[in-house]
Amino acid sequence: MTLYCLGIEGTAHSFGAGIVTSEGKVLSNEWDMLKPAQGGIHPREASRHHSELGPGLIKDSVQKAGIHFKDINLVAFSRGPGLGPCLRTTATIARTLSLKLAVPLVDVNHCVAHIEIGCLESRFNDPVTVYVSGGNTQVIAFAGGRFRTFGETLDIAIGNMLDVLARELGMPFPGGPIVEREAKKGSNFYDLPYSVKGMDLSYSGMLTAAKKLHSEGVSISDICYSVQETSFGMLAEIAERAIAHTKKNELLLTGGVARNNRLTEILSGVAKRHEATFHRVSPSLAGDQGAMIAWNGILQYKSGRRIKVEDSHVLPKWRTDDQDILWR
Amino acid sequence: MKQVLAKGAESVIYKMDQWGDPYVLKWRQSKPYLLPDIDMQLRKSRTSRECKMLTAARALGVPTPAVYFVDLNKYTILMDFIPGIQLKELAEKASQSVLLSLSRDFGKLIALLHEGNIVHGDPTTSNVIVSNNSRLWIVDFGLSESNATVEMKGVDLHLIHRALETTHWEVQEKMLEATLEGYIGVLGSSAEPILSRMKEIRERGRYH
Repeated sequence: MTLYCLGIEGTAHSFGAGIVTSEGKVLSNEWDMLKPAQGGIHPREASRHHSELGPGLIKDSVQKAGIHFKDINLVAFSRGPGLGPCLRTTATIARTLSLKLAVPLVDVNHCVAHIEIGCLESRFNDPVTVYVSGGNTQVIAFAGGRFRTFGETLDIAIGNMLDVLARELGMPFPGGPIVEREAKKGSNFYDLPYSVKGMDLSYSGMLTAAKKLHSEGVSISDICYSVQETSFGMLAEIAERAIAHTKKNELLLTGGVARNNRLTEILSGVAKRHEATFHRVSPSLAGDQGAMIAWNGILQYKSGRRIKVEDSHVLPKWRTDDQDILWR
Repeated sequence: MKQVLAKGAESVIYKMDQWGDPYVLKWRQSKPYLLPDIDMQLRKSRTSRECKMLTAARALGVPTPAVYFVDLNKYTILMDFIPGIQLKELAEKASQSVLLSLSRDFGKLIALLHEGNIVHGDPTTSNVIVSNNSRLWIVDFGLSESNATVEMKGVDLHLIHRALETTHWEVQEKMLEATLEGYIGVLGSSAEPILSRMKEIRERGRYH
């Protein structure tokens, strides 16, 4: 019998709802992202965005999937990691639906969901995953029953770095896509701090130096070009270290920044050098969305995991490697 | 005559027989997917850095392969071949008491480096070779740095913690404890600020 899982995502500034079947078919995937008029994301504003738009997005996802609320067999929600107010709003919606529809509730780790939706799409069994987004920059691989973080940023995430740079250069949020467009027009490379420490990296020094280039009058396109080449080069290096260290032969690129074509080109080059297969998650599944939560809900439910409403408090600091992976 | 010993993240390691003895030739290959400016700069700086640091580390009492020849235009280093096994591999088959004693020795060597204000930069168990007489050798100094601050030393310890938790998860607590025991044994109370920095670094870049 086919199961229908409603997945609800809301860890940061995006809210998403998606329906995925137990066969791994994505039937719908609706989302909306808060775009502040200026500055960064305020957790309280983001949670208000979720409570205002969430119910409508969930209704749309059920409708577009061609099912009714009574067809839903389980509700999965992003329990963490993320911004507390956003997580609490999302969890409240999920708990309410689970009680109202009298179906089981499953808690999902947001980072693990990003990896597993990539595995579903690529049919990869055991990849080294580069997970890049506004809040995360991690190189992850499965070992000993857990997804283990082999490397990560020691300060700011790559997406955050790109957004802050864009803001500095007078571009609107989200800055990543505009930085990518500008970088294509760049032709002069400026040396920026390249900071790789083992399999970890650091972006704050590079960001400061890039801001300085701007104050010295270097063109925006040259800054974007130099920042992309340097920051993606660092990411390529830690991915490469993880592949060499784990000897795995699949490389997966997932998360919102996976939409960047230059990053994709660089990482596919890394995979080729190590005779590994490469996959970049398609744009609709790259960012924060409900389908990945729904698919992970299915995987967990099939391995026997559910959570009681009274135990389902959110986990803002939930580490990728804190969860026993029962389905692998 | 040469054979490929390993293909690492940034280099190819060959074993060569020359003058009746085995040597290692380390070649930092070009990476076509990187911007050529970055690629060349990294290969050159790391080749040069590795040569200097292998020698500086030995002067501090840390066993490292001796360097015989370096070509900064071809990005190659010729050095001693150390017969033995990576600590990473040995950890899978050694008894726990042997493993903990090796971990203590590893901690001591890292402490000797830090005492001389050098950080290794990539202190994983892949970069430690255990020779037949249970002597530890530290290799791969491409990310090494001198004039190290407390912050840099803290990162080095953080990387050890990270390597143990991802690669030796069954024994990570005991290995870490033994490594730090060896480390503190050398540095005494001057290890304290570095250890607390290690914990602080671990908490960065996370949701707080």
